[in-house]
Amino acid sequence: MKSPLMFCLLATSFVAAQPLTDRASAESILRQQEKNPVSTLMPAVKGDPGSIRAGGQSIIKDSIVLHDGTNWTIVPKGAVIHLPEKLTSNVNAKPVGNLLTWAAFLSQNQSWITTNEVSFDQAAGNQPLPAQKAEAWGKINKLVVAVHQGGPISVRVAEETTDLTQR
Amino acid sequence: MKTSLAILALGCASLHGAGEGYVNFIRQNQQRTNVIWDMPVVPVGQSPSALSVESGGALFQLWTIEQAKAKDFLLDQKLVGAYLPKADVKVVTLDPYSLIPRTRVDQPFTVNINVSGLLIGMNLPMSADRVLLEHHLANYSREKIGFSLQEAISGTPASSGYIRANGTTVLKFPVTSLRHSDPTKASGEEHFVIHTLAENGITQTQIASAMVQCWPMASGEIKGIQAGDELRFQMPKLELILDDLYPRSDTYVQVYKGDAALGKEGFRLEGSHLVLDQDRTDSRVIPLTGLDKAFEEDGTYTMEIVHETPFGVERLSHVSFQVRRTLQVRAMQVDMESAAN
Repeated sequence: MKSPLMFCLLATSFVAAQPLTDRASAESILRQQEKNPVSTLMPAVKGDPGSIRAGGQSIIKDSIVLHDGTNWTIVPKGAVIHLPEKLTSNVNAKPVGNLLTWAAFLSQNQSWITTNEVSFDQAAGNQPLPAQKAEAWGKINKLVVAVHQGGPISVRVAEETTDLTQR
Repeated sequence: MKTSLAILALGCASLHGAGEGYVNFIRQNQQRTNVIWDMPVVPVGQSPSALSVESGGALFQLWTIEQAKAKDFLLDQKLVGAYLPKADVKVVTLDPYSLIPRTRVDQPFTVNINVSGLLIGMNLPMSADRVLLEHHLANYSREKIGFSLQEAISGTPASSGYIRANGTTVLKFPVTSLRHSDPTKASGEEHFVIHTLAENGITQTQIASAMVQCWPMASGEIKGIQAGDELRFQMPKLELILDDLYPRSDTYVQVYKGDAALGKEGFRLEGSHLVLDQDRTDSRVIPLTGLDKAFEEDGTYTMEIVHETPFGVERLSHVSFQVRRTLQVRAMQVDMESAAN
């Protein structure tokens, strides 16, 4: 006989000594369906998964503005690694006048701006800038911008050095 | 890891906001060290980044600033590096069935989502600092039981949310989310899909998924007898009407003397025991025979349909009734002599 009916009282039970209960009601399921754990996650933005302006970013606000009275440009915060007292008014001034690229601005303002090429490890603060550099900057009395292959770059000050005259 | 250099294609002149009266900047932000570098920019063309992309990835942003108003616009940004998040999703139910996760609509289950490779930092594009979880529901019908992943997730998700942390996110569902006019009878699949978000012209990318199969709750009745019936001689013809028995279950009728009392132990009625071990629910009609021997004494009896599953032992229905078999003769005893007088 192929019937699955079991004509014996000793069936193998996989539920060991669990109490008998009545089946759950439709109402209790509906109540519990309200507790959707996905709602605890940050809600997805419908139609805006690729928003490229999250967080109100601004390159101007995230930069140092250099100004010569007529023209201005921006460099990353942390890129000005030496700032003589007399040039503080040229830094973080209101961005008015002609905006120039960094290269053009530097070209026109070499009388008071110079650059210092740094490696990535120096920029990341893994290697300190040589101590003699700071001495040299003090003598030339120019604003020094850290650059990497010509582009201004932020420099993190290594913890073990105090040689750097940080902005 | 400083192995890859990014080649940046600069289409500044063709981009909105770029051109006469605008100055462009490309800013590279190393995500792990926060080193920020402004690449020298040419109006149109392409150039390799001179700054190596570190293991945490580098965010390249193309900005333009309007000369007249000193107003900046983020034209585009790309995240480069081994940043593509990885994810793993697993559904855990109370049913030890090994082929697929399965459960019953009234039972809890857990979704464990393990995410790695998300970047943590400021101003990151959404594709780098989060993944998207979508929860899709697909109800079974008489015509269709079982869906492919593509079928199941082709519609709008029932719910969705971002996961923004590496590590394991645990979502505990108290019951199914499938909808049905009778929630105890819903059946179908719940699919959980993790996507990275769109970026670089690539559409959303599915990186992990898992599903759980949800079966309805069983129901049953004993047909042929009503609560309160009084049975005298032969037992009536009884049938078990059983619907949606769980794929792995034992079902039987239990009998005990007395009124119905949940949890009271009785004896299993011979011939009523049905064992299922299969891949879907089942419905059966089982005739009950040979009942007279089970009710030899007079009194109140209760019959219960008991359904054992991996989730516990449940009473599907019960009926209590009276058995009165003793013949009572109401008569006066009179002897023949008295009768003659």
